[in-house]
Order: sequence, then C-alpha cells, then structure tokens
Amino acid sequence: MNSDAVVIDKLTKWFGKFRAVDEVSLRVETGEIFGFLGANGAGKTTTIRMLCGLLLPTSGEGRVAGYDIYRDTEKIKRRIGYMSQKFSLYTDLTGYENLWFYGSVYQMAPRELKKRIAELSEDLELGNFIKRPAGSLPTGWRQRLALAASLLHRPQILFLDEPTGGVDPVFRRRFWEILYRLADSGTTLFVTTHYMDEAEFCRRISIMHHGRIIAVGNPQELLVEHRQASLQELFIQLITQQECV
Amino acid sequence: MFRMVLALVRKEFYQVRRDPVMLRIIFLMPIIQLLLLGYAINTDVKNIRTAVYDYDRSDLSREFMRSLGAGGYFVTRPSDIPLLAGERGFRENRQDVMLVIPPGFSRDLKERQSVTAGFLVDGTNASSAAVAMGYANLISAEFNRELYRLSLPVTLRQKVLYNPEAESVYFMVPAIVAILLTMVTVMLMSMAIVREREIGTLEQLLVTPITKPALLLGKAIPFSLIGLVEFSIALVFGVIWFGIPFAGSWTLLYLLAFIFLFTTLGVGIFISTITKTQQQAMFFAWFFSIFAILTSGFFIPIQNMPQSIQYLTYLNPVRYFLTVIRGIMMKGVGLEALYPNIIAMIVFSVGIFTFAWLRFAKRTK
Repeated sequence: MNSDAVVIDKLTKWFGKFRAVDEVSLRVETGEIFGFLGANGAGKTTTIRMLCGLLLPTSGEGRVAGYDIYRDTEKIKRRIGYMSQKFSLYTDLTGYENLWFYGSVYQMAPRELKKRIAELSEDLELGNFIKRPAGSLPTGWRQRLALAASLLHRPQILFLDEPTGGVDPVFRRRFWEILYRLADSGTTLFVTTHYMDEAEFCRRISIMHHGRIIAVGNPQELLVEHRQASLQELFIQLITQQECV
Repeated sequence: MFRMVLALVRKEFYQVRRDPVMLRIIFLMPIIQLLLLGYAINTDVKNIRTAVYDYDRSDLSREFMRSLGAGGYFVTRPSDIPLLAGERGFRENRQDVMLVIPPGFSRDLKERQSVTAGFLVDGTNASSAAVAMGYANLISAEFNRELYRLSLPVTLRQKVLYNPEAESVYFMVPAIVAILLTMVTVMLMSMAIVREREIGTLEQLLVTPITKPALLLGKAIPFSLIGLVEFSIALVFGVIWFGIPFAGSWTLLYLLAFIFLFTTLGVGIFISTITKTQQQAMFFAWFFSIFAILTSGFFIPIQNMPQSIQYLTYLNPVRYFLTVIRGIMMKGVGLEALYPNIIAMIVFSVGIFTFAWLRFAKRTK
C-alpha cells in the first residue's frame, strides 16, 4: 500500500478548446491536511471531480488511495468522501433520512448505520437539527450535515470543496476543529478554500492559477521563500505575477 | 445491490409523499384527463343544427323534415334569415346545415316526378361535414323507399361488432389510458434524473459506490409503480364511469403494460442523458409525447394518413400498445391475435432500454 493518499502526474483536462487543468502534478501524504488553493475558475473543482471519478481526465496519471483514477473508480469511491461546494443533500428529507439514505447506499448494515449516525451527530453536535428537513437548516448546520453524510462510511480520504463558503467565523472555526480531529484520527483531508486564515491550518498547500499549480509547500516555508508576511499577500503576489507573465 | 435499490426507492417515495402538488397530480390527473378527453374527443356527429327553408309547407315536406330529425343527428328549425342572406347563418355559426325545400315539393312527388331539395353544409370541419352528408343521404334514401313502398334489389344488413352503439368513448378511453401511462412515465423518469443533476444531488450520489443498475432501477421502480397506479386508476375509472366493456384478460394487459414500461423508461433515461435542466427534459418529453400521440392512431386513424406517414407510425412504439389495449379491452383477443404487435413491443422495449442504458454514464467525459 502506497503511503501517499493522492498522487497525480501531469493530470490534464480539456473542455473543448479550453484547458481547465494543465499538467497538474501533486502528492498528498496520508493523514495530512492539504489546502488546494486558487482563484475562482482556476480548475480546483475540475481536478477534484477527476480524482473522485466523476470526470474522465483527458490525459495524465493519478492514484487515489492507491487506486488508478481511470480503472478503479469504484474502489476509490468506497474509500473517499466528497463534500461539494454546493449543498447537495435532499432538502425535502430530514437530516436523519439523508444520513440513512447515504448509509444504505454505502451498504452499511442497519444496526451499524444507526450507531454511526448517533456517533456522528454527537461529534458534529447536530442535536435536534437532524430531525428537521435539510432545506430548512441554516447554512452552518447544512454544512455539518453534509460533512456527516460524507463521513458515514469512514473514508480514508475526504475531499472538501469550499466547505465553509458563506458560513460565519465562529462556525468556520468550529468546523475546522472537527477537521483537525479527523486528521488526527488518520483521515487525509483535501480541502479547497478561499479563506487564507483557513489555509494556515493546512500542513501543506498548493496554489492553482489558470489550470496550473504555481506554488506548493508548507505555508510557513512558502512565506519565507517569497518574503511575504501573510498568505493573503503571498496569494495575491503569486497570482499577479502570473497575470503579468 | 438490493439495499441500494431499496434505499433509493424509499427515498423517492418519501419525496413524492412530501410533495402535495405531486400527489394531487398523480391521483387527480388520470381522472381529469379521462373525463375531459373522454367527453371532449367525440367523433360521433350529433345535433347537427339545420336551418330549414320550407317553401312547400305541405304534409310531405314536414314529414321529410321529421324523418331527418328522427335519429337525433339533425335538429331542424325554421330559419329566420332570408334565403338569399342564408350564408350569414354559417358565418355567425348559428347553423351547420341549410335545407331548402322548394315549392311544389309534394305536388311533384305525388306525380312521381323527381324533386331536388337544397342541402348546404358548413365545410369548415371537413370530417363532420362528410358525416352529415352521409347521414342525409341515408335518410333521404330511406324516405324515398318508404314513400313509394319500394323494395330495393340490394339491401345491406348492418351490424356493428364490439361496440354496437358505435360509442366513440369506448374507442377513446383505452387509448387515453395508454397515452397517460406513456406521458407520465417518460416525464417522471427523465425529470427525476435531471432534477437531481440540476440541484447537485446526482453528483453526490455518483461519488458513492452505487452501481449503474442500482441507480437506474432505484429510479425506475418508483416511477413505474406510480405509472401503473395511474394506469389502473384510469382503467378502473373508465370501466366504471364510462361503462367501457372489458372483454379480455386483465393479466395479459398488465403484462404487456409492464413490457411497454421499458420503452417509456428507456425514453426517459435517454432524455436525461441529453438534457441538463428540467425545462429541457420537459420539452423533450413533451415533444416525444406529441409525436407518439399523433402517429399512434389515437384520434387520427392510421389508414387515413398518407402512405409515407403510415410507414413512420411503425417507428412509434405507442402505436402497438394502443392496438393491443384496444384489442384486449374491446375485442377480448389474446396472444393469438396480438402477437405481431407484442413482438414489436418487445423489440422496441429491449432496443430503447438497452440504448438508453448504454448511454447513461456515471462519469462525465
């Protein structure tokens, strides 16, 4: 078994004449929190979709949890969780019904599933919100519910596409506390975000621009290397540099 | 596999149950559609409004008018518009037919001379005009025969089989039931998949290890059941309310409806693979339904179509199901008479469903 959770090599995706992802190579170690940063439209979501087996790459290689992203998508899917940037649970079902549905799709035995839902609802402090229709929940609770749904089957790797978009700072902080606990228990986290304070929580980050990765490394080391005081500045500097080129 | 399918089926039913509009559509639509169409689509021509200009005013002219009105086909009344302006009655839609009985009608008849009466028909609706003229010819022939106590060399002894009263509703209701099943399942199936794609839940579902058969079955089962419930409501309602005779085998009909479902579900899945939004899916489902209805022999008899269009109707899977359902309900026939249609249905079901199945991909290219 490979110790890297995600390895991609020259992964490329063309949409017609538009190159959304351009020879991206990356390595994400097992158990680390990897921040996948980039401006809007940089190709982050496209990359994640290829890793999750939702989108067929045009070229390049990739392995997720040790499995090939072309051939072994079904094996990959059993080992990953995915939380998209758009809330994608059923708004007319309650939180519990949503979790029960996804758990059954993962073929969890009813007894085990019941236990797991109780466990997650305590961990994520879902409380009584779990009994309400998902559509009626405030954004922060929706995000937690979505996280719970993606964690039901105890995935090795969790892909989070802007999990805290539109959520207040207190909620964001608590959400990240949960993510930290997950990482501590050995789950690999692959997170995209726009919030630079969140990027600091990551062990390593990459910055993507126009389909290419323009920087990758530990946040502190990157700051030193580029002589910047904050990630915010670093991000803006790198992107403007690219635009000038 | 089984648990995945069950989870999906249960989820769909939760969602339908929580949508009051959907519930109403499901249970009221078949009945409303049947009532509206059953009464509205009536090819029987009755109560033809006949404006009469009787310039003879004799017993015989009145007798002629009486026999014209006797069958309930023509309703005669003296016209209040002068003869020369009589066309106004057609333009203002106050009459369908103008009958002009000339002076000397009875005198000439008694002298055994031939007489001509004027019979003008509104041809705006060509088919009812033709029916009206046919009736009028029959009635006047009968009138002649009785008048001279003739016995004609050839007479036809007519008998209408399977539908003695020639009620068009008997013919229409089985077809409406079939069309209902088609429209409901094509629409629900395509919309169900596209809706999930539109709101993003399909993507969430596709990152799970759910298999294609489980996903498609989990979608197909609830909507087939809903389709069959509607089909049954319409069928039972048709038999009870309209008194449609059901001559054949219910088992055979349901078996064939089940086979037919693979066609409509296949079309629904296919539509979901070529559309991105519910609006697009709705439009395609509507387009398919219009084509399917118009070339199925629903209200335009296939024999009346131009030859080239008749060939086209062979490509319409609904056509076969319509023949089958009418055959089973009205004639009470079974496999022995229907097998060519049944074979066609099976071919379409297998073909369309397989094609749609292969087109449906879990991963986007």
